[in-house]
Amino acid sequence: MGMEQVWLLPAIPAGVFVVLALFNRVIPRRGDFLAVLGMAAVVVLALLAIIDFQGSFVEGVFSPALGENTYSFTWIDIGNGTLLIKFATFFDGVTAVMVFVVSFVSLMVFVFSMGYMHGEQRYGWYFAALSLFAAAMLLLVTTNNLIFLYFAWEGVGLTSYLLIGFYWERQSAAEAAKKAFITTRIGDVGLLIGIILLWRASGTFNIQEIIHLAEEGGFGETYLTVAMLFMFAGAAGKSAQFPLHVWLPDAMEGPTPVSALIHAATMVVAGVYLVARMMPVYDEVLIARDVVLYIGLFTAIFAASMGLVSNDIKRVLAYSTVSQLGFMFVALGVGSVTAAMFHLLTHAFFKSLLFLGSGSVIHATERQEVEHLGGLWRKMPITTLTFTVGGLALAGIVPLAGFWSKDEILLEARDEGSMFVYVVLASAAMLTAIYTTRVILLTFFGKPRDQHAYDHAHESPPIMTLPLLTLALLATIAGFAAFDGVGEVLGFAGGIGQVVVTHAPHPFEFHPNVAFPATVVALLGVGIGIAYWGGSAVRAVRAREWAPELHALLVNRYYMDDLYQAIIDRVILSLGGLVARFDKSVVNESGVDGGAQTIGWFGYRLKFLQTGRIPNYALGMALGVLVFAVIAASTVS
Amino acid sequence: MIPLENFLLLSAILFALGFYGVLARRSAILILMSVELMLAAVSINMVAFAAYLDPERFTGLIFTLFIIAIAAAEVGLALGIVLRVFRERRTAMVDEASSLKW
Repeated sequence: MGMEQVWLLPAIPAGVFVVLALFNRVIPRRGDFLAVLGMAAVVVLALLAIIDFQGSFVEGVFSPALGENTYSFTWIDIGNGTLLIKFATFFDGVTAVMVFVVSFVSLMVFVFSMGYMHGEQRYGWYFAALSLFAAAMLLLVTTNNLIFLYFAWEGVGLTSYLLIGFYWERQSAAEAAKKAFITTRIGDVGLLIGIILLWRASGTFNIQEIIHLAEEGGFGETYLTVAMLFMFAGAAGKSAQFPLHVWLPDAMEGPTPVSALIHAATMVVAGVYLVARMMPVYDEVLIARDVVLYIGLFTAIFAASMGLVSNDIKRVLAYSTVSQLGFMFVALGVGSVTAAMFHLLTHAFFKSLLFLGSGSVIHATERQEVEHLGGLWRKMPITTLTFTVGGLALAGIVPLAGFWSKDEILLEARDEGSMFVYVVLASAAMLTAIYTTRVILLTFFGKPRDQHAYDHAHESPPIMTLPLLTLALLATIAGFAAFDGVGEVLGFAGGIGQVVVTHAPHPFEFHPNVAFPATVVALLGVGIGIAYWGGSAVRAVRAREWAPELHALLVNRYYMDDLYQAIIDRVILSLGGLVARFDKSVVNESGVDGGAQTIGWFGYRLKFLQTGRIPNYALGMALGVLVFAVIAASTVS
Repeated sequence: MIPLENFLLLSAILFALGFYGVLARRSAILILMSVELMLAAVSINMVAFAAYLDPERFTGLIFTLFIIAIAAAEVGLALGIVLRVFRERRTAMVDEASSLKW
């Protein structure tokens, strides 16, 4: 097993999906162990592929030719290569990070789900859908072909829809699923247009060939800019970037492990992956790259501000995810795949940890509004410990994982971006520290605000705390992947800066003039959080009363959802009404019914030609013969 | 020898008479008889052409034999239908039997 057999990674969970979807009722335990074992096999295969990947460096530089899979088959061939779609996989540093994150977090979430979803109706279907998601996500990150990428892209969208709407008996869940699907769909259309534009100019769907062509200047610059902007629309939709971010907070209607896997660690980073994968092309069109930068920058601070006031523990984490994805897009916008993928890696661990931790809280108390929680640390020590570790990693406290990756992004933003980008991003990082502290304090410390929920609370079973502890460990140490020494011990050429790169690898350097302010900002944020929400949170209440309009603005999510609702109600529905009326009166009544009525009317009139009297018919025949005779006579002479 | 034109003239007259009968008569029996007249006219044509234009072979004569045989069969069938119609409606006038339409 090595990079050649990477196609097995999506194939295994796909097989599990088929078995579970069809037979989960007859398999003991509804077949959950099949899903977990399948995912464990995927983790092992992924690690083997990553070990094999270490060999694809020639003198310290990654060779794309070695990443290209020699095993491939032609899926579609129309017109002898005019439209040629070949299946093959591609494995480089970016793929290695994605494969590791997806398979590992999936395994943790699968195990956690065995405890969290225990006794749930449709338990088997839950694992089937989760396996289908893993299959689609692994195909998405390993394929070298834009058509297969799009196929997998829609696959993860579908499973996201299925799992957000898992409790479809609840109206809000069904609507959240619809909202998520339709909002990302808007971006997906952009992605499809981008893919078609690239194919039209290059004649290929192969990502490496397109990158090669773009680097040689094979596309017109404006053309390529437009194509890459359309592609970014797809990435922004999937990764919940402004203005398509509205679906992600609502997606929290799904079961919490689903939020951890799909809406924190894997699917929502598909957009980041896509831009990182196409990075050499974005490097050719700097306008498109700047759009990525500023959309990401705005989203980073915009979403963080909404996280400050949300009452729902999962929604805070959702806004945080949107904000952190903005950080990754900023890194991509300044051209650093390394920083983006590094943050993606660490974020996947601490954010899925936070979500699973909140799942543990919800499981124990059946409450997810922070105003009903508080003081849980006495009842749930492991959850509290791991959640706090995850939260501090998110806030960027030394030496947890988030510190190193956020540092890398801030460094790139300062060196490759501008002072403005750096300052805004640092402010967003401070907001992150504030809301993280807030949610930790309100959930686990202070006095219990809902005595019933508190009395009901208990620590989760080991099957749930084990993934929490594992992820907490990773959230602590994943940041050390930055060090060259750590990378060398693991058998790589060096730290993540030497492995996950588009152009030249660069060794790890410690920049105290970035790391020091970042630490100050993070500690300041934590300090503000403790000052406002520590104890009985009197300052927070006073702050809310001091600026009620600002609070209302944030609680109402800048009225973005209302704006979209108004646009849908006024513009789209009235336009739809017009189209419906056109369809009813012109197409249906005049066109379809009208045609039939006209024919019917003619038939009603013409039927009287049929008298049923034989002499009339005989006369008709005679006249016909006469006409033929006249024609024949005139042509002969 | 009688010229060919005489035969053709006879045949044309017979055909026209028959044709007029088909168009003008109301009785099914008379229409059938008129049809027989038309068939006879065609047969005369066939025999005349065979004798004058191609005396070596018997194409026209064989055709005529066929026409006679088929005409006999046709009359048998048609008279059967007329008989049924007459029994149903007590009449053999074709314009009375006009119910097989829209």
